[in-house]
Amino acid sequence: MTELATARPRAGASIARSLAKHLLLIVASLAMIYPLVWMLVSSLRPTEVIFRTPGLWLNELYIENYIEGWTALARPFDWYIVNSAIVVVGAIAGNLLSCSLAAYAFARLKFRLRNLWFAIMLMTIMLPFHVVVVPQYIVFNNLGMVNTFLPLVLPKFLATDAFFVFLMVQFIRGIPKELDEAARIDGAGHLRIFGQVMIPLMVPALATTAIFTFIWTWSDFFTSLIYLTSPDMYTVPIALRSFLDATSGSNWGAMFAMSIVSLVPIFFAFLFGQKYLVKGIATTGGK
Amino acid sequence: MSAISELSKLSTRRALSPEDRAARRKEASRDNKAGYLFLLPWLVGLFAFTLGPMLASLYLSMTDYNLIQTPSFIGLDNYARMLDDARLHQSLRVTFTYVVVGVPLQLALALAIALLLDKGMRGLPIYRSIFYLPSMLGGSVAIALLWRQIFGTTGLVNQVLQLFGVPATTGYVSDPQYALWTLILLHVWTFGSPMVIFLAGLRQIPTMYYEAASLDGAGRLKKFLTITMPLLSPIVFFNLVLQIIGAFQSFTQAYVVSNGTGGPSDSTLFFTLYLYERGFTNFQMGYASAMAWVLLVIIAAFTAINFFAAKYWVFYDD
Amino acid sequence: MATSRRQFLTMASLGAMGAGLGLAGCSRGGGGGTGGGGGEDGVGLTFTWWGNEVRNANTSEMIAAYVEANPGITIEEQPGEWASYWDRLATQTAGNTAPDVIQMDMAYISEYGQRGALLDLAEHGIDVSGFVEGTEASGDIEGKSYGVNAGINTPVIMVHADLLEELGIEMPDDTTWTWDDWLELATSISEASGGDVIGTSTFISNDSMLSGWLRQQGKELFVPGNEPGFTVDDIVTWLEYHQQFADAGAIPSPSQITEDSSVPLDQSMFVTGRTAMSMWWSNQLEAVEAAAGKEFAFLRFPSIAGDALQRKAWYKASMLWSVSARTAHPEESVALINWLINSTEANEIQLAERGIPANSEVASVIEPLLSDGQQRVLTFINDIVPELGETPIAPPPGGGQLSPLLLRYATDMLFGNIGAREAAEGFYDELTAALGA
Repeated sequence: MTELATARPRAGASIARSLAKHLLLIVASLAMIYPLVWMLVSSLRPTEVIFRTPGLWLNELYIENYIEGWTALARPFDWYIVNSAIVVVGAIAGNLLSCSLAAYAFARLKFRLRNLWFAIMLMTIMLPFHVVVVPQYIVFNNLGMVNTFLPLVLPKFLATDAFFVFLMVQFIRGIPKELDEAARIDGAGHLRIFGQVMIPLMVPALATTAIFTFIWTWSDFFTSLIYLTSPDMYTVPIALRSFLDATSGSNWGAMFAMSIVSLVPIFFAFLFGQKYLVKGIATTGGK
Repeated sequence: MSAISELSKLSTRRALSPEDRAARRKEASRDNKAGYLFLLPWLVGLFAFTLGPMLASLYLSMTDYNLIQTPSFIGLDNYARMLDDARLHQSLRVTFTYVVVGVPLQLALALAIALLLDKGMRGLPIYRSIFYLPSMLGGSVAIALLWRQIFGTTGLVNQVLQLFGVPATTGYVSDPQYALWTLILLHVWTFGSPMVIFLAGLRQIPTMYYEAASLDGAGRLKKFLTITMPLLSPIVFFNLVLQIIGAFQSFTQAYVVSNGTGGPSDSTLFFTLYLYERGFTNFQMGYASAMAWVLLVIIAAFTAINFFAAKYWVFYDD
Repeated sequence: MATSRRQFLTMASLGAMGAGLGLAGCSRGGGGGTGGGGGEDGVGLTFTWWGNEVRNANTSEMIAAYVEANPGITIEEQPGEWASYWDRLATQTAGNTAPDVIQMDMAYISEYGQRGALLDLAEHGIDVSGFVEGTEASGDIEGKSYGVNAGINTPVIMVHADLLEELGIEMPDDTTWTWDDWLELATSISEASGGDVIGTSTFISNDSMLSGWLRQQGKELFVPGNEPGFTVDDIVTWLEYHQQFADAGAIPSPSQITEDSSVPLDQSMFVTGRTAMSMWWSNQLEAVEAAAGKEFAFLRFPSIAGDALQRKAWYKASMLWSVSARTAHPEESVALINWLINSTEANEIQLAERGIPANSEVASVIEPLLSDGQQRVLTFINDIVPELGETPIAPPPGGGQLSPLLLRYATDMLFGNIGAREAAEGFYDELTAALGA
């Protein structure tokens, strides 16, 4: 308040600018949030009226969808949330560990055939996934891993998500080299440089990886479909589809209600995770 | 597991004296060993789960394979057949339009919003989360329903237009003229992922650079051009490369919105959608594999061009 | 200090890895064990089907009853949902792990059967002796029984009777009406409602209506030898007939047609009351009525001769039961199917959810238990016996393409991009190519 009084003209201008910025962001937010509101409203309507009532106005709150959705499948819905959580936690741990190791090698170490391996890594994300589904299924089947969570988690510990390796490579290459050279002069080995210099500096990249892995794994339908055949192993996306069948009646209300429920974890994961996105070099050692 | 303990034993010391040939060779070989040890998990994954299936699909691309019977080798027939497959050519047109229009628009929007949401105002965590929402919903069934609800014949867009007296009854998702553009719009609207990566990248730029520039009296634009852009360029490059790769393989949204048909009149027949139709609906996995390898070559060419051009605009500190 | 921290890092990463993989490796609930291994002395079967949560619950209940009555048999359930069901089944078949008992569809039975993925049930004691005529051979292809009827279906035309009454339009007599009557009726509905309600949902790319129309001229959709049973000229006539609907405003606009073709049942123009008539399968009546929240009248599809006895109706299997050719337990799998189709116990659980049971004795036992809608369907199914023609053969591999192909060319025509002949030729060429592949 005192600041405002002493420097009125400048503060006034900046308040106006900040107001304008907020206004712009709020308007834009509406376009972003519309689908969520629509889903929320739909989840509170009886299935029969969802597609026949335009607009977002609710005359009554039909919470039966939530009760029904939670209990209509073979297991209560939290069972599937736990399944998804197991896969997600495994996938995040795997990606963080394995992708950062590989990225450090590609970004900082000079070894024979590095460029060749790097090109091969990029190639692995260029082939459309549908043609490797069947051969990959055969591999996992021969390993006896079908109908366990392993096909969804084990590859993550082996850095098969080249997207994240490449992402971390780009981040590491943006870290000034003096930092690890200084550590090297102090006699640090690669593992120590990696663990004590790089990892703290890579927090935004690691946070990005964790968030994306969370969301992509949480909503991954096809891999779960192929590998998790028994209903007890179903993850959330498969459970959600169980409410639908195009050839007979679908329980849209329950599907929307459980979609909302399943969005809650990822929304909060993002809300709390995003603060690590902005914990970069600017706020840690680099200053 | 022994790899990690092995790694921890490696202690390197920088060769300080200039009598270095032997030392340098030693260091190079140390890097060699460390490099492969750090790379070990990835290498195991590559050989165990990735490379085999890729090579299998390359072989299958030269066979007649219906998923049920044993594949029979037919050489390059599948590739030859692609030359006069009119639907394949249509799918290439659709995909190229999508890549060329959708990717730059999405990236520009993501960067602009990331700059806006970087710092310096209240409520940023909430805004960031809201702007990421569409990407969380991604390719879910709900999005397909919503998109039809907005762009259908009796959808939101037409209702708004009618409010203004325009007699609009076009179903944008179901009219061959507009359908692809609604999907491009959907793509641009889910700009959350590149935005998050930009946000993370922005925070890697040391604030001291900006402080120094402020002392020199540099304005906002100048700071953006001389500090932000060069230091963010590796991240811009990453987003560009990966978004192009992703857009070429775009599948889920087109699949859910058109219910897997690529319709109306093939106007949203993305390359991978057609590939999927061939492989899984028509049981022609051999042909689908050949299509996949053609796409790989196209994507690889684009990526190579990107890497080549990067020499001129991407700034690394190493 | 440095050492301990390094050790800590190593330990922590190994710990995370171990915990992650340990959790991932385990199975939850009864989900352990894949394939048809079974216990030491028991037989383990895998059983897959598609459906919504109602059918899933029914089927689980039936399986539980069967397992209880047959000690030594365990059954692993693999439910799914229509669209993704086929992706998974194809992958499993390619990986040699197809489930033992498979819910099959007419559109796919040849794809799997002709390529040797399905067992000949007749060789392993399938029992269709109690089946009504016209249903015993639903899943037979070239003398082999690759599937058995799991429920009777027949095409019907549902009508918003209340709408017609409001508009003062009389319901047609479905024992005498012709295809031109359909056109006339639809046109008058569109006119009378001032365009608020469109006469009929289109059936331009509807394979069952095309099939009925062809059969009344002594032709078929497909003939043995994996070939179409009609000519380009037939399709030209068919398309021109539908162009009349479009010109009269009796069907939705091409853009609405495209929209309608990709929405689920409950959002279709008919269910939401924007069209007054539409073709459905008889076993969809309940779902359609539930989604619309009202009762519909349903009619026989028309005939060229204006005589329902000459309309060449048929029973279609709403779905079939098949067994994987690679099953380790053919006898046990077929025994399970026999129980599903012939026992009152199983059908008292599922009632007519998969369609009216083909076993007439079973159908009459469960009749009093059926819902009102299902009873109307059962009556209809019994009533049309004199109108039945020969059962059409299963569509050949690639035959599932007929409808999507016809829709693509037909909408192209309705959008005004190509003429009827061009559309018919393009359709015919692509269809024959798909069948040959």
